[in-house]
Amino acid sequence: MTTLLERRAAAEPAATAPQPRASRRRAGLRRELLGLLFLAPSLVVFGLFSWWPILRGLLISFQQTNLVDPAVWVGLENFRTVLSDPLVGKALLNTLLFVGLGLVIGFPAPIVLAAVMSTVRRFAGVYRVVVYLPVVVPPVVAILLWKWFYDPGSGLFNQLLGLVGLGPYPWLQSPNTAMLSLVLEATWAGMGGAALIYLAAMTGVPSELYEAAESDGAGIWRRIWHVMLPQLRPVIGLLLLLQLIGTIQVFTEPYIFTQGGPDDATLTVLLLIFRYAFQDGQYGQAAALSVLLAIVLAVLSAVYLRLTRSWSTK
Amino acid sequence: MATPLRVRAALVAAATGLVLTGCAGVTPAKNETSSGGDVVLRVQGMPAPTDTAALAQFKRLVQDFQAKNPGITIEGTENRWDPLTFSAKLAGKTIEDVIQVPLTEPQGLIARKHVQPITEQLKQWTHYQEFNPQVLQPLSDSAGQVYGIPQAPFAQGLVYNRKLFTQAGLDPDKPPATWDEVRAAAKQISAKTGKAGFVHESKGNTGGWQLTMLTYTHGGSMETEQGGKYVAAVNDPATKRSLELLQAMRWTDNSMGQNQLLDQDDVVKQFAAGQLGMFMGTPGTYRLAKTKFGMKNTADYGVTSLPQAGGNATLGGAEVYMVPASVPKEKVDAAVKWLLFAQAEPQYEPAIAAERAKELAKDPKAAVGVPTLPMFSTAQQDKINAAIKPYVNVELDHFKPWLEGTPKLTLKPEPPIAAQKLYTILDTVVQSVLTKRDADVDALLTKAQADADKMLAAEQK
Repeated sequence: MTTLLERRAAAEPAATAPQPRASRRRAGLRRELLGLLFLAPSLVVFGLFSWWPILRGLLISFQQTNLVDPAVWVGLENFRTVLSDPLVGKALLNTLLFVGLGLVIGFPAPIVLAAVMSTVRRFAGVYRVVVYLPVVVPPVVAILLWKWFYDPGSGLFNQLLGLVGLGPYPWLQSPNTAMLSLVLEATWAGMGGAALIYLAAMTGVPSELYEAAESDGAGIWRRIWHVMLPQLRPVIGLLLLLQLIGTIQVFTEPYIFTQGGPDDATLTVLLLIFRYAFQDGQYGQAAALSVLLAIVLAVLSAVYLRLTRSWSTK
Repeated sequence: MATPLRVRAALVAAATGLVLTGCAGVTPAKNETSSGGDVVLRVQGMPAPTDTAALAQFKRLVQDFQAKNPGITIEGTENRWDPLTFSAKLAGKTIEDVIQVPLTEPQGLIARKHVQPITEQLKQWTHYQEFNPQVLQPLSDSAGQVYGIPQAPFAQGLVYNRKLFTQAGLDPDKPPATWDEVRAAAKQISAKTGKAGFVHESKGNTGGWQLTMLTYTHGGSMETEQGGKYVAAVNDPATKRSLELLQAMRWTDNSMGQNQLLDQDDVVKQFAAGQLGMFMGTPGTYRLAKTKFGMKNTADYGVTSLPQAGGNATLGGAEVYMVPASVPKEKVDAAVKWLLFAQAEPQYEPAIAAERAKELAKDPKAAVGVPTLPMFSTAQQDKINAAIKPYVNVELDHFKPWLEGTPKLTLKPEPPIAAQKLYTILDTVVQSVLTKRDADVDALLTKAQADADKMLAAEQK
């Protein structure tokens, strides 16, 4: 929008007779105002639903408030309280565990899936639908479904594993396996979208590269390792960062599956923020922890922007 | 050129946003008063459309109330307590004028000043002095101000499945009176029927809440006063014995089933489906099991007073109606009038109680006559019970053990300071015991005591 206005502004004086400076300024101002008028609805919506809540959250992190009486400024008190809460450390470790397990299990899964799909010729459309289907299932429905899968008594997984003489496993009921169970569901629910992106990227790899590698005697693994993966590098990098940012903010899974249990094994940072605000009514502390999380995410986003810029200029 | 334009655009947007949000902040909530100067009162607790009899009754109540109180218009909403939306609605001044909350919440709401006292308005009522003090106590602050009216007051008891009792060779008319008997019965139920004999809640603060009632029955309490301030009494032999009982039932007897991490709804749902033998709950769970979770064979429902192990005490429980702090004075007066009309009078006036019971009984799905603790005196409750007798559709005999046993127990309130935060700490303890075979109860209690003391100190600064 800005560029277009500038171009027009630059082009117009040449096409018309010279105007007095004041008149030109007035015309320019009019154009700017017109532009702003068109922008106004979006700006208002952004202001109302994004910027103002962010600003308000920042303010509340320095206040003590019950949202009814006037707020009291408490300086850094909320940050001090939050940082001295032993649960914050636990929540952070749990969140990192979720992120880590997500990287180990959830990250390679769509790449493998896409690689398999790209080699399958028959019923390719069916596979794509099946893989993408979990993405269109509402998250809460998917989690409730998996809750039944994980039921230690009559759940699907234990019933199936029982047929081959394994289990029963406690899944969500044990602090040792609860987080892993959450990651498995999250992987199932989220890998469809990523798999399709990888699939699209794989079809973009020139077939001559594979053929050349093949004529040089490269087997399937070497073709994947030396041809396909390097070609996918930009996509892999982007999805990696997006996954990091997404998994750090994990909330729905622990909230619906376990509410942070057992023994705080699935208490994540966002769930703790939720507890501060909606269970304890400590809005200031919730805002303070949110601000701290936002700083971490901002750093990650900066890395993301930097990397995308360097990739796009390559 | 581009930068100044962007800066200006951002400034204009920011100014517009601030002006708009500022406007939103100073605009009075839409429900202040109607055009004719009438008070419009938005009240939670309107039954869902599926509960046809109760909804029809609610609508008639509204008509009757409005006829008797010209100038007050009632707008019912189906909303109930929802921690997710409560704060936002409170801040946005869109919260209803009367809210319905479970009894686990009032003390937290009072402490955070999210609700306001209604003592002054209640005192205008002729029968205020006759309220059962035990019923109002959990809804009051330390200065004696009252903040709500209970829908139907209960004391915690032991809910049990009479059919599973019979199948396990137990006598459903002689339910367990001690925790040793509960343990033995749970073991027998599990062994004979394959169902969970007993379950303990452990999610969303209900673990701490149930551990508190279990501790009361063992003679303990969760907080004690020392030099004018409260300290935690969590690391106490009574709590330890309670946890060791759970540990033995879970891991030695294997009588608590495989599924832990449950809250009240999970438990009542399982109970309504005939999947579990016993749980700690109020007679109010009958209504929940029947109307919400479709329990078919309500004759299987049995409830007795809370089993004991030397404490001779139980904890109160009920749905409560309260008035948020943001509600203006003239609406508070109207709100209390409504609450007295809708909740208190039918529990005081036999004729009103009978009329409402008759109406509700038209729907076989409704639960009419679930016994409660007396909201006023026992004599008054007897009059109410006699008046509604023809319309009662619950199996009253199956509530007898609760009715007979509960008056012998002391009704203890919840921990006075930050009960919900204490429950959060205790949830972890209960979850550990129920999900880790080798959980060290002593270590868990030592840690919980330290955490609770720190939390209580911060709360009483």
